[in-house]
Amino acid sequence: MNTLLMKTQLNWRTLRCQHQLFKGYYQSLLPLLAMPLSEAPLMAMDLEMTGLNPQQDQILSIGLVPIERGEIPLARAEQKLVQIRGSVGQSATIHGILDNHLVQAVTIEEAMTWFINQTYGRVLVAHHAPLDCRFLQQDLLTIYHQAMVLPAIDTLMLEKHRLLREHSAIQEGSLRLGACRERYGLPIYSAHSALTDALACGELLLAQIAAMGDGTKLTVADVLYQSV
Amino acid sequence: MNASELQPVVQFLQGLVPFDTLAEDALLRCAKAVTVGYYSKASGYVTFNINTPKLYMVRSGAFEVRDPDGVLLDRVGEGEFFGFSTLLSGEKVVNKVAILEDSLVYHLPQTLFDKLRGESRDFDKFFTRAFAKRLRHEGRFKAKDLATTSRVSTLMSSTPIIIDAHASVNQAALLMRNSRVSSLLVTDNHKLVGILTDKDLRNRVLAVGLDGRIAVHQAMTVSPISISSNALIFEAMLLMSEHNIHHLPIIDQDKTLGMVTSTDILRGQGSQPLLLIGEIERQQDLASLINVSRQISLLLQNLISADARAEEIGRVLTSVTDALTRRLIVLNQQLLGEPPMAFCWLAFGSQGRQDQAACSDQDNGLLVAEEMDDFAKGYFDALTHAVCAGLDQCGYEFCPGNIMAQNPQWRMSLKQWQQVFEKWVITPEPKALLHASIFFDMRSVYGPQTLFDALQDKVLAQTRDNDIFLAGMTANSLVESPPLGFFRKFVLERDGSEVKGIDLKHKGNALINDIARVYALSAGIKEVNTAKRIRALMEANILNRKDALNLADAHEFIAHMRLSNQGYQHNQGLKVSNYLLPAHLSSLVRHQLRDAFKVVHEAQAGMKMKFMRSF
Repeated sequence: MNTLLMKTQLNWRTLRCQHQLFKGYYQSLLPLLAMPLSEAPLMAMDLEMTGLNPQQDQILSIGLVPIERGEIPLARAEQKLVQIRGSVGQSATIHGILDNHLVQAVTIEEAMTWFINQTYGRVLVAHHAPLDCRFLQQDLLTIYHQAMVLPAIDTLMLEKHRLLREHSAIQEGSLRLGACRERYGLPIYSAHSALTDALACGELLLAQIAAMGDGTKLTVADVLYQSV
Repeated sequence: MNASELQPVVQFLQGLVPFDTLAEDALLRCAKAVTVGYYSKASGYVTFNINTPKLYMVRSGAFEVRDPDGVLLDRVGEGEFFGFSTLLSGEKVVNKVAILEDSLVYHLPQTLFDKLRGESRDFDKFFTRAFAKRLRHEGRFKAKDLATTSRVSTLMSSTPIIIDAHASVNQAALLMRNSRVSSLLVTDNHKLVGILTDKDLRNRVLAVGLDGRIAVHQAMTVSPISISSNALIFEAMLLMSEHNIHHLPIIDQDKTLGMVTSTDILRGQGSQPLLLIGEIERQQDLASLINVSRQISLLLQNLISADARAEEIGRVLTSVTDALTRRLIVLNQQLLGEPPMAFCWLAFGSQGRQDQAACSDQDNGLLVAEEMDDFAKGYFDALTHAVCAGLDQCGYEFCPGNIMAQNPQWRMSLKQWQQVFEKWVITPEPKALLHASIFFDMRSVYGPQTLFDALQDKVLAQTRDNDIFLAGMTANSLVESPPLGFFRKFVLERDGSEVKGIDLKHKGNALINDIARVYALSAGIKEVNTAKRIRALMEANILNRKDALNLADAHEFIAHMRLSNQGYQHNQGLKVSNYLLPAHLSSLVRHQLRDAFKVVHEAQAGMKMKFMRSF
């Protein structure tokens, strides 16, 4: 049922897509929908931004951590720093990314090409996915002139549904990445970068899948459906 | 990608024995090779893929390892491993690993594991469980001689005694007399230019016919060899013996701070036990002996804080007890008159084994040459009561089980003692076996060696190859077993239960004492000290070399832990006991203790095989 729904949605997006690259991108996701979550190739991601507004603010770094058959191979975990217009400014205190770090940074165009290549045939996973996706979609629109919606598994939404099944209300702050991890007994990572947060998010998904039980039957489409 | 990007993984590895010994680039290679896996408690057991063997490093959560028969092998928590036995042997996984809690695990592939073993000896040794070597190297490295740990500054007098180079030798001699020193530091313009010693006054002034009016700089030893206040006393000793000198000026950054002499070093804490024993031997009455014995606990604390070997501490403390006992016997004989016959003062238990520690109580007896008449009975009754009471007042409390020479039951002739031991050997009832662990560790502290030998030789002739007796002794000592290891802040027992702490004496050293005793009695070995027994058993090829060294090391390591724990308790103002709480143990020490327990467990199994096969 979920698979069918998601498939229809994806097919529709593929049809509407003019850019060949993204047509292919959507098509690469289609066979994954019916796969059991524990076997599907996934890609946990996290972005660091200069602010929260996709129209004004810019991406500073992107961390990508693949998940293969329920395991995270760190060898292929990667992070890119992105060049920005102007200075990092105030947000540097949050991300610890200083202007001179950005010397090794790539242009946003290079970063987006890299991102699409890396995530081709993999379902995205993020904590509070809509925010990260909106930034990515904005840049893809600017660069490729292609409006699109990136489907992603949202660990925050999965957690919210789970908590609401058990409690009537959700306490403030209890859906933050660290708070979610704590509930599963996952270790506290003091360092914050796009890469470590992507890793933290990937590990959280593994724990969530285990807690859902019957992980062999749960499909990618089921979880994507719950991410909305 | 650089190290900072995988910081959580690198940091975790950095704090993990033996990864902490790896260089930074090796750690980064590890972090990059890791795959992260999540194990849900609901799935029960870990499923192993035979094609991709790996090291399982627990990042959070817990597992339990059992052998195919269901015997608990280990409980593994954060920062610990499983799966390496398969990596080392290349054989198929046979142990079952249960998932106790939802766990996050870092997997390290076999290829990198093998590579790291090739690159780092420490890493390899840790996993190959080259136990003997590891414990030996680290144990010996840690335990130092007293003189090697203290610094020269601790011996230095507060104000250096200095004379100007242009002063007369006469003035110098006066200063030396008034300050009661045998040497002076000589300065010119606040700079050290030489030293002047008694010997210089003799050889360079009097012997060559000069008088006291010559200047100090004409008689002094020019440009003396000096040492920094930060140097170890051990280094000062080396320097002195190397140059055959007895005086070393102490200089820090051109500033003359003082002088250290060979006499200072001899008087220093390195020879404290010898001095204490010397002092005991000089005392003329009980009151002053009691006074001197107050230094014993200080001596123990000094030895512990200097990290001396546990075996040496036991021997040093026991020799002090022996000296006190002997002095009490001599002083009381002076009061009571010549003894009516030859006798030996017997020490049993820990004093017999020479492994006394803090708050030891008395275990002693009296062996007399012949049957006692009424006069002899009265004499020895008075003597033993006086000595035991004296020991009690010196801090060696009366034995709660009344195993003391002042108890007429343990004051016997050679013949009677021989009969008592014979009875224990022939009918090893529970009570006899309980006595055995105390009485069979006997040593003569005072009296003719021939008399003691006559008893010991007879006893050993009866225990030697006595299957029934040895089987009884073995069964008795197998009642207790060492723990399996640790799990989080608890001690993990072999039955899987978790307890708060461990009695290092009764679940550690006493078990090794038992093992050494059974083997020694089976082979008629006269030694009673556990380390010496083990050595003798190795030399007689009764224990193989590897097992013997492992057992000796385990004994030393556990005893060392027991003493340092007691040192900690003493410093914290806690009650001194044999009870160790694992909460604050470092991960390395936990591994080492676990290895030591394993050696004891295996030695117990070996002893069972050897002495209880037919029972």
